Amino acid sequence: MVDIKLKLKKAPEFPLEADVITPDQFAGKSAAQIKKLIVYHGNEEKTLGEFFDVTGNGSEVNDIKIIIDGDLSNVKRIGEKMTGGEIIVNGNVGMHVGSKMSGGKILVNGNADDWAGAMLNGGELEITGNAGNYVGAAYRGYWKGMQNGVIKVKGKIGNEALSWVTGSKPGNRFPTLLCGSAGSFLGVHSHGGTIIVEGDCDRCIGADQVRGTIVVKGKINRILPSFKKIGEVKEIELMNGEKIKGNFIEYSGDHSVEKNHSKIDKKTGNISNSSNGRLYVAA
Amino acid sequence: MADKNIRTVTDVICPFCGTLCDDLEVDIDNKEEKIVEVRNGCQIGTKKYFSSNPSVHRYDKPLIKDNGSYKAISWDEAIDKAADILIKAKRPLLYGFSSTECDAQGKGVELAELLGGILDNTASVCHGPSLLAIQDVGAPTSTLGEYKNRADLVVFWGSNPVHAHPRHLGRYSDFIRGYFRKDGSNDRFIVVVDPRNTHTAQLADMYIQLNPSEDYELINAIRAMLRGVELEGDEISGVPKKIIIELVNALKSCNYGVIFFGMGLTQTLSHHRNIDAAICLVRELNDHTKFLLTPMRGHYNVAGANQVFTWQTGYSYSIDFSRGYPRYNPGEFSSVDLLMRDEIDASLIVASDPASNFPAAAVKNMFKYPLISIEPHHTPTSVNADIILPPAIAGIECEGTAYRMDSVPLRLRKVKDAPGDCLTDKEILERLVEAVKKKKGE
Repeated sequence: MVDIKLKLKKAPEFPLEADVITPDQFAGKSAAQIKKLIVYHGNEEKTLGEFFDVTGNGSEVNDIKIIIDGDLSNVKRIGEKMTGGEIIVNGNVGMHVGSKMSGGKILVNGNADDWAGAMLNGGELEITGNAGNYVGAAYRGYWKGMQNGVIKVKGKIGNEALSWVTGSKPGNRFPTLLCGSAGSFLGVHSHGGTIIVEGDCDRCIGADQVRGTIVVKGKINRILPSFKKIGEVKEIELMNGEKIKGNFIEYSGDHSVEKNHSKIDKKTGNISNSSNGRLYVAA
Repeated sequence: MADKNIRTVTDVICPFCGTLCDDLEVDIDNKEEKIVEVRNGCQIGTKKYFSSNPSVHRYDKPLIKDNGSYKAISWDEAIDKAADILIKAKRPLLYGFSSTECDAQGKGVELAELLGGILDNTASVCHGPSLLAIQDVGAPTSTLGEYKNRADLVVFWGSNPVHAHPRHLGRYSDFIRGYFRKDGSNDRFIVVVDPRNTHTAQLADMYIQLNPSEDYELINAIRAMLRGVELEGDEISGVPKKIIIELVNALKSCNYGVIFFGMGLTQTLSHHRNIDAAICLVRELNDHTKFLLTPMRGHYNVAGANQVFTWQTGYSYSIDFSRGYPRYNPGEFSSVDLLMRDEIDASLIVASDPASNFPAAAVKNMFKYPLISIEPHHTPTSVNADIILPPAIAGIECEGTAYRMDSVPLRLRKVKDAPGDCLTDKEILERLVEAVKKKKGE
């Protein structure tokens, strides 16, 4: 691995859009060339060198490790659309970190703002602090959100994480979110996401979930009326085959979705437990 | 008998709320060019017409702030100074546009693109969540005339037309006789869902009082019930299950139903997810009967602002031009969020009054930086502006196009001349565009 070090020289006055900070953009470039990459500050184009000290030269994408120091809470889109390599951010980071990435790894040693890992399509995003709203969510109007990869947030996350997440067992895609605690509307419109929450959640968890698994090891503020209690379980099998042990109450849902994969027998009114979404809450 | 000093303009379209009533009659004093009488309008619309008469609250010359007080300047100077402020800014915000006509809105888009600024309209604090939900799950909707002629079940969810759209009930949704609803109100079943027992609720055949901010759970329960799922518990969102069953039966058994929803659904907890669920409910109700929904738009041309912005940029509000092309992300580029994070450095407010509606912290940040206001009246925004550019009021003092809440475009009429040196919003924005182009050397 080749290290490329970036250090923030001065805090930007306006949000700095630095979608060029990815191993893909740095590949094959010298420090001087990297400094000349374009970033957007307000309505002006600036160069990366005006805001960052850069040391190290880029090699091949997968061999690049970018280490960024400084408070980047006003720097947006770091690692956007990256396909490989590694980014380590030592400090807080702004919106859209790792959005639409499809490979590689990002580690944020701090907090992340909204849209962290939005529409992730592979790779791994790890945040050691808290994250804002719309973690791994679909951008406005998209019917397919996160499709693959893993997001790990140690602290709490905001609302509407993993909206419109789409996983597929036959396609071997298991988009997964692990977090400390979560706000409301976790996994809204989920089509096969896996979400594991270590702590508590707010309301409307799994709203409009068609398929997918949500495991909450703490409490949920209010469970939606359209979720049906099935019973208690001692072991949960996730979509990717991994197992979690513990005492959980199993719910199926969301039963308000028209095109739900759950099947209701018209004669008996019984709900088939085989294929629709699941919510597990610690007993 | 006709008075020679008074002229009457008929079939005037009222530029106040999204209902855009088109049957007003306005009497104008020829000598003083003042409105003396408005017939057929509601109280709010009538007041707007009278507010256009010259008064201490109306601006008639461009003003500039000079040592804390305002002094009158010429249009050329005012446009020049305003253009300077906008060009100097690195992240200017252009906000408002909902109480003016479509041509002016189009000029606003041009100006925002030239400046690389942020363009937003009042949907951002109003029906923006409805637009987000529509982008997620679509919208089964129709024109108001269809509802008038056909609807036999009308649901007002989180909206209070008696106060906000006073003539809506009389023209489209309750008292009016329709082609298939010959007996007016008696042929319609009115349902109101609201945490507050509003005056609209008092007119309803069925009033459902739910806990504040628990609309999502109630819609969710109705959707599940509609699919035959037996729900647990005796009440949901504070509504007894017995009543929800009655409501579901009413929704399923009507011939033609409509949901009119307002701020009670869009700007309470869950925001766009409320609308998302309501749209899904309407979609599922269409398995049983005909059902549609329409947002109760507030400003008379906020629907037009969404239309114009959409056909010119691809997005209906919260548009960022900082990278030269339009990008859209409410929450990131919406006015309140930008101001709360203190991300802008100048603002141009057109035909709206954010200082009365935005959170105090956001307004404080807006007042920190140069502020240009295109506004006919003294408002909390305009009295804090650095430059005030007085426009003619669209729909009263100039013509233009406006979109009704159901996205039907109507041509506004001019009934009288504007006082003083007022120019139209379109002319002002056009001159700003020219001045900016000239200064930028384009």
